[in-house]
Amino acid sequence: MVSPAIALAFIPLLLTVLIRCRFYFVLFYRAVLVRIWRDCVTGLSREERAYQYVLTHATPGDPDSILDAFDVWCSKVEFISTIGPKKGKVLDRMLMEQSPLTVLELGSHCGYTTVRIARSLPLGARLYSVEMDQRNAAIAEKIIRLAGFDDDTVELIVNPSDEVIPRLRSEYGLERLDFVFMDHWKKCYLPDLQMLEGTGLLGKGSMIVADNVLFPGAPKFLRYIRKSGLYEWKVHRATLEYSRGIRDGMAELVFQGIK
Amino acid sequence: MTRDSLITSENDVDIGLEFEGLEDEVDTFQEEHERERHRGKRRDGERAKKKKRGNGEGRKRASRAGQEDEKLQARGEKKGRRKRSSSDQQAEGREGDEAEQPTTKSSKAAKTRKNVKNEKTRKVEKEEKEDEADDEERNAKRKNKHGSNKKEEIVEEGNKHTVREKAGEVKKKKHKKVVETSSEKETSEEEDNEEEDSEEKEVRPETLTPEELEALKEAVDERKKLIQGLRGKPWAMKKKLVTLRESQEFVEKYEGALGKGKGRKLYAYKVMMTKKWMKFKRDFENFKTACIPWEMKIKEIESHFGSSVASYFIFLRWMYGINMILFCLTFGLVMVPEALMGRPYGTIPRKTVPRAEASSAMDFAVLWDFGGYAQYSVLFYGYYNNQRAIGWLKFRMPLSYFLVGVGTVAYSYMVVIRTMARNANESGVGDDNSFNFSWKMFTSWDYLIGNPETADNKFASITTIFKEAILEEQESRKDDNIHLTRFLRVLANFLVLCCLAGSGYLIYFVVRRSQKFALDGLENHTWWERNEVNMVMSLLGMFCPMLFDVISALENYHPRVALQWQLGRIFALFLGNLYTFIIALMDEINLKREEENIVKFNITTWEASLYNISASENSTAPPVTIQPADVPRGPCWETMVGQEFVRLIISDTMTTYITLLIGDFLRAVLVRFLNYCWCWDLEAGFPSYSEFDVSGNVLGLIFNQGMIWMGAFYAPCLPALNLLRLHVSMYLQCWAVMCCNVPQERVFKASGSNNFYMAMLLVILFLSTLPAIYTIVTIPPSFDCGPFSGKKRMFDVIQETLESDFPAWFSKVFSYASNPGLVLPFILLMVLAIYYLQSTSKSYKEANVDLKKKLQTQNEENKKKNKLAALKAQVDLEEARKAASPSAEHQKNNNASPDQEADEEEDRGRSQRMYHSKNGRSPPPPRHDGHLPATRAPVPRNYPHGNQGSAGYLPGFPRESEARMHRVPSLQRH
Repeated sequence: MVSPAIALAFIPLLLTVLIRCRFYFVLFYRAVLVRIWRDCVTGLSREERAYQYVLTHATPGDPDSILDAFDVWCSKVEFISTIGPKKGKVLDRMLMEQSPLTVLELGSHCGYTTVRIARSLPLGARLYSVEMDQRNAAIAEKIIRLAGFDDDTVELIVNPSDEVIPRLRSEYGLERLDFVFMDHWKKCYLPDLQMLEGTGLLGKGSMIVADNVLFPGAPKFLRYIRKSGLYEWKVHRATLEYSRGIRDGMAELVFQGIK
Repeated sequence: MTRDSLITSENDVDIGLEFEGLEDEVDTFQEEHERERHRGKRRDGERAKKKKRGNGEGRKRASRAGQEDEKLQARGEKKGRRKRSSSDQQAEGREGDEAEQPTTKSSKAAKTRKNVKNEKTRKVEKEEKEDEADDEERNAKRKNKHGSNKKEEIVEEGNKHTVREKAGEVKKKKHKKVVETSSEKETSEEEDNEEEDSEEKEVRPETLTPEELEALKEAVDERKKLIQGLRGKPWAMKKKLVTLRESQEFVEKYEGALGKGKGRKLYAYKVMMTKKWMKFKRDFENFKTACIPWEMKIKEIESHFGSSVASYFIFLRWMYGINMILFCLTFGLVMVPEALMGRPYGTIPRKTVPRAEASSAMDFAVLWDFGGYAQYSVLFYGYYNNQRAIGWLKFRMPLSYFLVGVGTVAYSYMVVIRTMARNANESGVGDDNSFNFSWKMFTSWDYLIGNPETADNKFASITTIFKEAILEEQESRKDDNIHLTRFLRVLANFLVLCCLAGSGYLIYFVVRRSQKFALDGLENHTWWERNEVNMVMSLLGMFCPMLFDVISALENYHPRVALQWQLGRIFALFLGNLYTFIIALMDEINLKREEENIVKFNITTWEASLYNISASENSTAPPVTIQPADVPRGPCWETMVGQEFVRLIISDTMTTYITLLIGDFLRAVLVRFLNYCWCWDLEAGFPSYSEFDVSGNVLGLIFNQGMIWMGAFYAPCLPALNLLRLHVSMYLQCWAVMCCNVPQERVFKASGSNNFYMAMLLVILFLSTLPAIYTIVTIPPSFDCGPFSGKKRMFDVIQETLESDFPAWFSKVFSYASNPGLVLPFILLMVLAIYYLQSTSKSYKEANVDLKKKLQTQNEENKKKNKLAALKAQVDLEEARKAASPSAEHQKNNNASPDQEADEEEDRGRSQRMYHSKNGRSPPPPRHDGHLPATRAPVPRNYPHGNQGSAGYLPGFPRESEARMHRVPSLQRH
């Protein structure tokens, strides 16, 4: 029989763990518990609820207002994993510097990042957005159109990324990708990157940006780019979107080719 | 004057070639010095003469420059290159210049000679004539000037002889010009000169006259001074290096040349020996550094982890040194004499394992617990005999034991306090708050870091520090968040206090329960209940610091401050644990003493019965010999205390090492090798590698030392054990840090923390000597074990020694001295002395601060003065420009005043002037004071087509200055 005093001695440990991981607990509560509860109550999926909120709170045709509405919903109402305003600014800056003409986005989810990228593209640029999930793609489509981007600017491809990438050259007639943004399944980062290398769409100076490389994290991806030598890379350290205490990073890769 | 005249006469005589190069050199090196003297003389009220001289000199210079530059050209122009750019454009202005020459000043002439490259020979001849005509004027001038001037003359004489000499003169003249025009490029020019000179000339010191020797000596001294003060010069590094090399070469070359004949040899020998001695000293220093144990290891760690981690290891090493001394004392004065000269094992009961324990006395479990043979050995108090003197040396064992016990503690006090005082001196009085950002900017880099990763971390941390500091500054201006911070700090302290109180109560509760268990008999309880106290204490000791760490995140302190708070809190926690342990020990001592009383009574009855038996059986038979193992004996609480401490140390060491192996090494291995097949990044993510826990380790060390101090009296083996432990942990921890830890995310300097460790050590020392002294003073020693058995108190051994080993008068004196009537005044006196010393040190500190302030204000005043001078000079310049038109005569008068200005400024000190002109902070004044005379000359050159006089002067000025601006950097590039 363990004495109660020994059990009491563990209280500091418990407190420490609680305080250390409080952000993770909050995240768990917001992203999982609230979601399940709201799903049961409303009968709608999370993305649909977000769309409803945006529809009622944003000005149609104004990408900024739509993004703001998204940010408010994600930070105040529920949690949805987008790029978030802070890392979004970094992304904006990179796009401004690069001003790419052909952009590939892997994982558009419900269109927040798509709108964000499309907003800062130069005239005549084209964004291909790949989304695997049918329902999310429908929402994303609506959001993109709501923001005022037509088919010429943004093309939504509803297919898994590993099927889309080999066909990019043949079906979509792409010669070169200037900018690739990855925010889909973290496990797919590495295979998709290798596939992109294989297609030869990446030229010298093409930029690849991968979100959430530290949390939830894509260690294999990071290890690969560290070793491969094809890229100049750095990780922009930030916190997870809509959360203060969880550290996350965005990897920025510039394709250098074989020297 | 006498010297001057002497030189003049000498000048008339033909002068050998060999003089020249040397003099040139001397001139070059001495220029600063000479110029100052020369100016001083000039200021002595010979304005008119000066004007005249300047006039003549200027003309002469120009002429000579003409000749020489032509010659130079013929020779391939070794050094004319950089002048050419400017001279080309100014060449056309030559004619106008000549026309104006009578009105120009000396330095202007220096300038004009630059453009002579394309000059007509006609002009040269004419000037040559002029030169001759000027001879008389020159002689007059010579009386004012000396040194450099003289050399000039000499050189001029030689000028007529060879091309070589002329080249030399050109060099010198160039140098002269530099002196007069601007100080900015003087050093570079100097170097050029010197380089070329040293190539061309050869010195024969035997032929030197005393004056020249003197001058040479001065030049050498000048160079030496330059080398010494080079570090403080506001020059570019490259320039410094070049200057250093040049100067060193020069000193090397001419140092040996000084002195004559025998004296010279002696001098050279002396110089050589000094060098050798210096080298030897340096080597010896290196050797000494190499002799410091673990220095390389610690340096390596420092380079990887920053100085905060290194400070722990330095502390560990220091502790090792202390323990070495303690070990030497106890080992050499107590254990070895007892082992060698005391009665051997088994002769008396206290040196024998009792019969009951004999069967298991050699078991490992028993030995590990320091029972059995280990208990009845020199390792513990109980083994020592109360025999007053042992062996043929008549070694006073009990006295030695007592004095060593007192001495170790006294020595520790002394060392700790001395180190603290030294550290306090080193830290000095810095008002760190006044220049917050400057401090951060210039002092935040840790220069000992040699690892790129740590450097990255340090870089990042400095960046964040800056960000935070800026935010802090903003917030302090806003002045609203300070309350929140204060509130959070108070809250954090409150939480920590709650935590401490809770843990204290828990320990108290557990100890009470364990006493109840002990009364019941430990056999009736489970393992958990029996080890409850230890378990709870170690668990709390492990987890509470973690909680404190989390709480301290609230406070938002600088990591160094945070570390100190953390240390203080853990200190309080550990102290609670330690004192609980001591209280428990005290209870046990009391129990043992009760037991002892019973045993004492039993022994008397046992002896009586023994005697009775022997008496009744055979009254004439010899007394029965009893095996010492069979003799009943008391519990000997001293040995028990010693054993407890030794056990504690052992278990503590074990815990440390096991935590190290599991928490650091195993974790690192897992993180490293599981990372290949894990779903998230173990290295960057959750478990990661551990950081080195400075505060925990330091505290562990300090408390360990406290236990040593407490227990060393009852277990002489403790210092030896501790030495072993420290030795092992030095290697183990060095290895563990290098192999399994990552640098802290916020690398910070630990410059101030050393004294904090020391202060804690002092507190622990005091707190650990308290119980030891208490037991020594109040509790009577056991009756049948230890060196003090049979005495009422342990310190009676002193009295006994005084009575029996010293003459009677000594003990009398001692008894008088220990009389309270004497002791109390003495203590009073000591207190007064301490008070006096403290107040004086305080006043010194204040004086220091005052001096600092004074220095600051003086600096500011100097700056102001310089500014004023510059302004005034500028105003004068303006005036000069305006007045340039009226007449040449008038112009000269105007020139005089800024020149004087420059003189005065120069007199304020060379360094200041250098600062003024070299670092480019106030370009106008330096350009002005040297430049003003120079500007006048070249003007006509810029307007070559007969645009002489007032009209062309004013617009010409800016162009000229522009040209100069370009020239200056090009000069400095060399």
